[in-house]
Amino acid sequence: MKERELYLGIDVGSVSTNLVLIDENEKLVEKVYIRTSGQPIEALKRGLKMIRERLGDDANIRGVGTTGSGRQLAGAIVGADIIKNEITTHAIAAQKLVPGVKTILEIGGQDSKIIIIRNGVVFDFAMNTVCAAGTGSFLDRQAARLNIPIEEFGTYALKSRSPVRIAGRCAVFAESDMIHKQQTGHAVEDIICGLCEALVRNYLNNLAKGETLEDPVVFQGGVAANVGIVAAFEKALGKKIIIPEHYDVMGAFGAAVIAREKMMRSGKPTAFYGFRAVNCDYRAKSLECNGCSNMCEVIQISADGEPLACWGDRCGKWTAGAIHIERQSGF
Amino acid sequence: MKTKIGIPRGLFFYQYYPLWKTFFEELGAEIAVSGHTNRRILDMGVKSCVDEACLPVKVFFGHVLDLADKVDYLFIPRLTSVSRKEYICPKFGGLPDMVRHSLYGLPPIIDTEINLRKSGKNLLNAAMDVGSRLNCDKKAVRRALEKSLRAYREFREQVKKGALPPDIIDKRFPVLKKPSDRILNILVIGHVYNLYDNYINMDMLKKLRNNSVNLITVDMIDGCIIDEKAQTLNKKMFWYFGRKAMGTALHVLDRNDIDGVIYVMSFGCGVDSFISDLVEKKIRRKSDVPFIILTIDEHSGEAGFNTRLEAFLDMVRWRYRHEADVSSHG
Repeated sequence: MKERELYLGIDVGSVSTNLVLIDENEKLVEKVYIRTSGQPIEALKRGLKMIRERLGDDANIRGVGTTGSGRQLAGAIVGADIIKNEITTHAIAAQKLVPGVKTILEIGGQDSKIIIIRNGVVFDFAMNTVCAAGTGSFLDRQAARLNIPIEEFGTYALKSRSPVRIAGRCAVFAESDMIHKQQTGHAVEDIICGLCEALVRNYLNNLAKGETLEDPVVFQGGVAANVGIVAAFEKALGKKIIIPEHYDVMGAFGAAVIAREKMMRSGKPTAFYGFRAVNCDYRAKSLECNGCSNMCEVIQISADGEPLACWGDRCGKWTAGAIHIERQSGF
Repeated sequence: MKTKIGIPRGLFFYQYYPLWKTFFEELGAEIAVSGHTNRRILDMGVKSCVDEACLPVKVFFGHVLDLADKVDYLFIPRLTSVSRKEYICPKFGGLPDMVRHSLYGLPPIIDTEINLRKSGKNLLNAAMDVGSRLNCDKKAVRRALEKSLRAYREFREQVKKGALPPDIIDKRFPVLKKPSDRILNILVIGHVYNLYDNYINMDMLKKLRNNSVNLITVDMIDGCIIDEKAQTLNKKMFWYFGRKAMGTALHVLDRNDIDGVIYVMSFGCGVDSFISDLVEKKIRRKSDVPFIILTIDEHSGEAGFNTRLEAFLDMVRWRYRHEADVSSHG
């Protein structure tokens, strides 16, 4: 039997680290969703280990793409063929799973984005500017404060009879509003529902800027698991929202799709280092370069003591010697 | 010994330096310019400036400190207006006072007011005032002004032909990566002190140029075109920069060779908060040209900035390829 050709997509985000394997037909074979917990390298290693356990060492991986805010780091560690920003990967993933999609709502750990698709290409996009209110990490924090597991947070909102009004423009104001409403005796369900509505209101103001959002609307990213937010979106927009099957790993899925396309086009062998990353001891060292008064914060990544990659300098003094990972990302 | 005049490399530096330099040198003075913005300059500026000021003003403070003990005079003109019936940001008008009252032990400041709101003739008065502080005779000042205006016009011509002000001023001839893709024409709108200070804008221009982008900045658009376009607005622009930005935005609508527009604004800028919105509305409602606003502030984390810039270029290329009917991406 001919061995399947697989493509790996990795999305290292602020809250979660996701890995996705697709086959040559762009079908999802494996997916891993783990919490980054502030340690991107550890999370990535754990993710790779899980993939290896499921597939065995000799899996035929033909290409790797990385995305998310930790895409440079992940790219350096695994040997990525392509490093792509998360807007492009999310847009590609949504179009694969929901053909004809016109509006993509995405809320992740620290970013929220809206992507408008016209004629099959990204027509416009926006990312949150002012504050991380309404993103996954804020919801996490509020769930922890109220002592409710984040998985159940949304179902509380659905039980609400009369949601209270919470200020959603700023995370600090939202929190103090919630505390105040709690102290005046409002039910926790009503407060959570009010919070969901506030965050959706803020999202639509800040990102959609009052534009009409055309059907089909897809909602993805970790926060799409929150049924309270989904309900608030449907109420505010007055339309049905599609949650794609792999909503929580869409970035990684898109990265895998891009990697596959690139490798098919180029016909070259992958830059993937294999699963040896699982056993390597990675160290990230940051140092302040004193070469000039820019005092750049340089990051050096080493694997078992061997320098692997370097970035953060403006002049190129440090990056020049190390493996140049910028070639795949463009910057 | 020649008198040494210090010119901080901040705010309107990249707009007027060739004029100022020629003027002072014609009057027999020597010029000292502060170094390129770096973290030390930024840190010094942030520490010494009032908190509410925008980043470019804070950076300017850093440049003043960089020069303070190296020069006989600091040249910090009180710029009230640089064009007829228009103002610039009020912080420029108060700049010499802000500097004087926040920083101590500075050399004397040449803080001549430049106010061309009512008449361009005020420029001569301003030049005379500067000259008198350096004990120069009136004839020499007149001659120096004429020469410096000539130098300024030459500089403007070079910019209009597509040279970037910092490249002209620093006599740099940047070696750029060979274009690996179709060259995109990207128009960048923003204040000179945000566009050309590559520390403040996190090397945005270099990143763009290295990604097969032909840069067109707002300063490269002909002044006559801008004026003509700005006159079609139903209300006269109050700000000098507002007219430039709006005129340019309207000009984009007339052209079909612009692949995308980037508006760079600094966080907390009063002028930008109005103008960016107006420009955005004009471009989005009247055209399909991809548009993005990039906000810059003190943070040195480039991830968010790069993500937006990268995604914007992806979007422009993707759309272009789609139009050219070669469907692919990445």
